[in-house]
Amino acid sequence: MVGLSIGEKHFIQGGIAQDIRSDGRKRLTPRPINVKTGVISQANGSARVRMGATDVIASVKAELGRPTALQPDKGKVFINVDCSPTAAPMFEGRGGEELSAELSVALRHCLLGGKSGSGAGIELSSLVVVEGKICWDLYIDGLVVSSDGNLLDALGAAIKAALSNTGIPRVNVAAGASGDEQPEVDVSDEEFLQFDTSKVPVIVTLTKVGKHYIVDATSEEESQMSSAVSISVNRQGHICGLTKRGGAGLDPSIILDMVSVAKTVSEQLINTLDSQIAAAEAGEDES
Amino acid sequence: MGPLRSMGKLLRRFAASSRESISWFMYKPEVGDIIVGRVIEVAPKRWRVEINYSHDAVLMLSSMNLPDGIQAEVRGFQHDGLHLQARSQKYGKLGRGQLLTVPSYLVKRRKQHFHHLENYGIDLILGCNGFIWVGKRVEVTDDMVVDPKSGQDGFKADKNSFSPEDQEKNYTPQQTRESVCRTANAIRVLSTLGFNITVEVIMETVDLSSSINVAIHEMLGAEFCVLVAEKEAVRRSMTKKK
Repeated sequence: MVGLSIGEKHFIQGGIAQDIRSDGRKRLTPRPINVKTGVISQANGSARVRMGATDVIASVKAELGRPTALQPDKGKVFINVDCSPTAAPMFEGRGGEELSAELSVALRHCLLGGKSGSGAGIELSSLVVVEGKICWDLYIDGLVVSSDGNLLDALGAAIKAALSNTGIPRVNVAAGASGDEQPEVDVSDEEFLQFDTSKVPVIVTLTKVGKHYIVDATSEEESQMSSAVSISVNRQGHICGLTKRGGAGLDPSIILDMVSVAKTVSEQLINTLDSQIAAAEAGEDES
Repeated sequence: MGPLRSMGKLLRRFAASSRESISWFMYKPEVGDIIVGRVIEVAPKRWRVEINYSHDAVLMLSSMNLPDGIQAEVRGFQHDGLHLQARSQKYGKLGRGQLLTVPSYLVKRRKQHFHHLENYGIDLILGCNGFIWVGKRVEVTDDMVVDPKSGQDGFKADKNSFSPEDQEKNYTPQQTRESVCRTANAIRVLSTLGFNITVEVIMETVDLSSSINVAIHEMLGAEFCVLVAEKEAVRRSMTKKK
């Protein structure tokens, strides 16, 4: 992101204070969201989400693995994000690594719940095939193709869409394995189990610029932010995770305010996202 | 093997790097172009200006009258790169508003690149390099001509006066801001549709949007794009008949 001139900065800040942002949106109006599912055929599930000029892809790959000794009844989920060097000049070389790591950590916080796996948006116990022996490992990869702010929300939406697009093959376990032996398995090529994604939360980031906060900030607006709070909310309106970026501190009352705003915004976002996912799946089936 | 590009009478072969591969969409400077740029580096005698080109341009302090400038004319190519000049009153620093980037081939070279839209009170500058400035009207006055030193002081004073109270007073008026955003979105729509961007088409799009009461942020939606495309189709069939 190139530095803005003083006049431009002032214009952006003034626009947010006056409730008309540079592209005419109000403070709490998100950009239109565009979802396409099944974009990567090799993956078990994938989705591409576009919000304005922000463009991200998420893919889900499922592999059979062994559950950890501590949690024999749970599968594992790994989230990793990459920033494509073509998205912005600053991502060239190792420039994108820091942001990628930050986004991955934030997504893990928002979607995976605690260390024990409790409270996760993805039901981990549904990934177990044979308790203590075989489980599914989900590798969720995010790729930032083009960046125009609000990457975390877009990635969260893309992961939700990709998960609802994911089919996990049915596994038949051969009977007869006993003791410490690893049972033999037969992975079906035809039968797939759909994921229940109704519990997967969406992420709403509120970016604070001046005295006000905005949703779905563009990269120009993000350059003017003092701090940003990302709140992940599920369909029931429960907060699943919360992360804060930016150096400036926030008054507790503002955070409470933000949480209730995020709740209303997330409702709309979940509804649009669900209808977009349904439309994308329908379109995919036809083609 | 890189793409060949004519620069004056000189043919140069550029290395085919990742940046160059998209250069066919990039701006190809010609002498006399009016461009809008962004100052990215200030050196004692010259400024480096980003102009949507594979190389940054150079604006020598000896080539201008104004203390600060992000709007200039291509003067020519020299051994150390592209040189700009901003000698006349009409060039200068851009104040409050927004800078849009569109593919440079959508902006055709014309006699007029500076437009003052009187009924909206805004300035519109169509830079040949694909940078378009939409901002609040700035009156060009003689006292803007100051030598670089005092210009620097003025710049600092400007920064210091940004206390929250002052800021609120200095905000662009609501109506002007609406016009700026509406015009900017009209340009965004035209650029996504890939139509040539001229002041007439921009104004037609703005008028269309306000006549059917589209909210400013809805102008970027699909429905309005269809309307603009239909309008363009009508215009093209009209010009063909003539």
